[in-house]
Order: sequence, then structure tokens, then C-alpha cells
Amino acid sequence: MAEPNQTGSLQVRNVSKLFGTFKAVNDISLDIRKGEFLTLLGPSGSGKTTLLMMIAGFLDISEGDIALDEASIANVPAEKRNFGMVFQGYALFPHMTVRDNIGYALSVRKRPAAEITARVDEMLELVQLQEFADRKPAQLSGGQQQRVALARALCFAPPVLLLDEPLGALDKKLRVEVQEQLKDIHRRVGTTFIYVTHDQEEALSMSDRIVIMRDGAIEQVGTPKELYERPINQFTAGFLGKSNFIQHNGKTFALRPEKIDLRASASHPDARLSGTVRSVTYFGSMQRVIVDASDGTEIEVDIDVWRNSETLREGDAVDLLWTDDAAVELQMG
Amino acid sequence: MTSGLFSKFNRVGAWVLLLFLVTPALIAIPVSLTPKRFLSMPKGEFSLRHFEKLFTSEEWLSSFFQSGVIAVSTSALATVLGTLCAIGLWRVSSRYSELVRAFLLLPLIIPQIISAMAFYRLWIPLGLLDSYAGLILAHTILAAPMVLITVSASLATFDPKLEQASKNLGASNWTTMRRVILPSIKPGVFAGALFAFILSWDEIVVTLFISKFSVYTLPRRMWNGIRENTDPTVAAAAVVLIAITVIAFVITSIMSRRSAKSQAQ
Repeated sequence: MAEPNQTGSLQVRNVSKLFGTFKAVNDISLDIRKGEFLTLLGPSGSGKTTLLMMIAGFLDISEGDIALDEASIANVPAEKRNFGMVFQGYALFPHMTVRDNIGYALSVRKRPAAEITARVDEMLELVQLQEFADRKPAQLSGGQQQRVALARALCFAPPVLLLDEPLGALDKKLRVEVQEQLKDIHRRVGTTFIYVTHDQEEALSMSDRIVIMRDGAIEQVGTPKELYERPINQFTAGFLGKSNFIQHNGKTFALRPEKIDLRASASHPDARLSGTVRSVTYFGSMQRVIVDASDGTEIEVDIDVWRNSETLREGDAVDLLWTDDAAVELQMG
Repeated sequence: MTSGLFSKFNRVGAWVLLLFLVTPALIAIPVSLTPKRFLSMPKGEFSLRHFEKLFTSEEWLSSFFQSGVIAVSTSALATVLGTLCAIGLWRVSSRYSELVRAFLLLPLIIPQIISAMAFYRLWIPLGLLDSYAGLILAHTILAAPMVLITVSASLATFDPKLEQASKNLGASNWTTMRRVILPSIKPGVFAGALFAFILSWDEIVVTLFISKFSVYTLPRRMWNGIRENTDPTVAAAAVVLIAITVIAFVITSIMSRRSAKSQAQ
């Protein structure tokens, strides 16, 4: 039961989903590698949850095919797919104890009671909820419920785990903590994780690869670093982190706010732009400066407070500097 | 100020209304204790002779038994049918299912006297007149919509993700129904079973039409008791009837509260 997964690669081939005439997912192809942590990231309505529901088997595929280790699963019903899933809001069974919730998948598979008990104990230890085994879900905090949902989904050692905005209901501080635990559990079980979120920080901090989606199609796929450093278009650059967009010689460049230097205006020889400070906002670790550039655009600059102690005031004249590799040329769109 | 006065008036009004509704039923209690041989209020003297008669008379006891059998069977049948129907409509959940639902509620909306006539006409060729099966079937048809309503109300608050979760974890439709859906809608099923029981337990209109000699339910015997002679045993029977209804109601509400609590904790 608990042997490491030999399987778990997933192939999405030209998949579309139509609701009436509306294409919620439009011709998506994607290779998901065994054991990777892949995040589907996009604003609401981008089709990320629809794609996940098709992988889970709760929605039919209108066009295309989905395969597990190259074998099509398009016609396999949800209950036969053996994919674990952590639902938005967890969907724990309210009338069952934590133990019964976690053991549910094994008990419907008619495994012997001793095996179920042993495996559930193992899962309780994995999510560190040993002393809560006999409680009902409503007696647990949000973070604990989230861990029960995770343990329940992993209990039958599925080759693929699907997570639908699993941290959406948690407050910000707890969310960061649970992100760490989730990453740790992913490392330990080695299951393929497919994670849906609209939270770009979550995606950046946890994923091996991120798929950025918009309007039912894939915008860009890559590691967090690739996507952050080399966005291919304005949507990706603006959705994953913040970005200034600079026009130069008819081309558009993305420029991250933290990659710009500000100097008190002295007609610096290397200055790319000059302008005046419109506002300065203090955030503790950094301060955000909005500059009205002389070419009429508005540039956002993040300055490390500790290393740049000189104070800027509204109305100050400043020069903006950056290195050539800081600006990334974008495709149109 | 005016709202304070208004709410006070409202509260008093509510109690007066409640009293108005309940008093006629409670009248049966003192009447049942009269020592006289006819229906009357006891004057200073009380007696349990009518209760004694009630519980020793073969006729009355057999009516109790018959009503009990019919009400329990009706409750069981209507609960199964109504629950399955509610789950089916909830699953399908389209414009047409709402149409079907409205159609299924008709037995509740149609005046009972009309249902009674329909049953009478239909039961003659089917040979169901004056039989347990005939009464149970008729009562079930009347009671199933009640179960449909209470179970549908429970299903409205059921999170459909629980069903998805159960399937995702490998459970078949049947297992999902038995282990996830049914336990979640238990309060609605209990309430429906109770309403069905009460409906059958005190049903008189349809019963008058389709029973005659061999099936003689409690309400029917009371009806005859009042019409033909003013025997206070009827009042004693009424007290027992009310008591059983109240007990059934209390048990059900305790059970549904307990199941709600076990989920909330």
C-alpha cells in the first residue's frame, strides 16, 4: 500500500471544455512529470479549476484526451481514477471522526481493519494530528481541518494529488506556515501534486513549475524563477509579481520595481530616465517610490530601506538607472 | 417606544393565539376524567373509568393496534419513497425536475376529500377497499410529499462537494449514498418519518371512504363514538392519541438535535 509510486506522470493533450458555446478551457496541452509540484495559476475564470475538475473526472472532456502514464483516462469515472484530492473548503465528512475521514478511501476499498488502522496512524503522524484522531472535523481549527483533508487524500497512496485552492480559507499568517508543511509533505511522499491557486505568492514559493492561465488557455509554463525573470508578455509579467512596462524603440520591456536604482538628480551619465517623486510609502523592509517620469509614464521603484538610508521626499527630482539585463523584452499581448 | 409596545403586544398576542389553538385539544383531558357516562366536564369528581374501558375494550384496543400498524407501515414506506425521490430530484436538478417536484406535491395540495373519492373509485377495481394494504397505500401517497419536503430541505444545505469527495476517494454511488449522503440528511429523514406517522395516525377523511368493517382505525372509532353515542371513552382515546403524537414528536426532535449536535461538535 505504502510503496513509493511508480506512476504519476500526466499527459494533457489538446483538451477543451465547452459549456454551451463558451470555451472554458481552450486546447490545452501539458506534460506533468512524475513527482513534480505543478501549480495552475490564473485569475478567476481562467479555466484552471475546470481543467482540474476534468483531471479529477468530475467534468467530461469536450475535446482532446487526458492520460496517466500514457494510458488514456478520459473514460474512467472519478471513483476509479485513484487520484487524491483536497477540496476548496476541505469537504470533510462532518459526521465522521478524523480517523474515519482519513481511513475512508481504504475502508471503501474493503481493506482489512488492521491495515486501515496502521495506515491511518501513519497518516496522522505525517500531518501531526495523532491526538485529534477521535475528534469531529467541526472541533478542529481551519489549519487542522486542512491537514485532515490532506491526510485523507494521501491515505491510499494515490499517484497524483489534486489540490483546489486548499489554503483559500486560512488567514495569511497560517497560510505561510501551511505552505511550508505542504512542501515538506510533498518532498516526503513523492506524489505528483497539481495545485490550483490564484495567489501568486503561494505559486512562487511552493511550485517546481507554474502554468499561468488566462481565458482558458496557457500563457506561459516554467519554473518560478523563469517566469519571474523572463516573462514573455505583459499578462505574465503583471500577474506574477509587479512590473513596470517601458516602451523603447517600438518594443515593450518589463522592469521589476526592485531592479531600478534611484539617484538624486545630478544628470547622471547612465540615467535611463529622470522624473520627480510623487509618493513614498514605507513598508518596513522596503519602501515603494512612485516616480512621474519625464516621458509621462509612471514608474514604481522598490528600495531596500536598510541599504539606502537617504530620505526621499515628494517632489524630489531623481534619475532612474538600471542595467541592460534588468529589462526583459516582451512579446505583444 | 412604539416598537417596544408593539413587540409586547405581539408577544401577548402570540400567546393568546397559541392558547386559542391548543385549548380545544386540551379540553379532551378534563372531559376524559369525568365520572359520568356521557361527554361532560367533571365537577369536583374525577374518575379513570373511561381510560379503564379504553384499555380493556377489545374494540378500542384493536383499533389502537390497527392504527399503529398502518401508521408505522405508512411512515416506513413514505420515508423510503420520499427520501429516494428527494435525492433523485436533487441529483438531476434541472427545470424539469422542479416541474416533477411540483407535480409530486399535488397530493398535499389537493383537498383530501377529492383524494378520498379518487382512492375510493380506484381501490374498488383493485380490490383494495377495506384492507390494510389499501389504507397503507393511500396514506403513503398522502404522506410521501411531506417526506419529500423535509428531506429536500436537508439536501439544500448538503455540500455537494462531500459527494465529490466520497467518489474521489473511490466510493461507488451506493456507498456514497449510504455512508455520506444519508447520514448528512438524517434530521430531514427523521422529521419526514414523524410527519408521515402523524398524518396516518390521525387521518380520517380518506379512511372513512376506503374502510368499512375489517379495518377500523382509531380516528374512525372516535368518529363513530361521537356520532352515535356521547361516550367519554372518545375523550380518553383523544388524550392517548395526543400523548402518543407528542411523544413521537419529542423523540424525533431529540434524535435530530442529537445528530445535529454530533456534527457540530
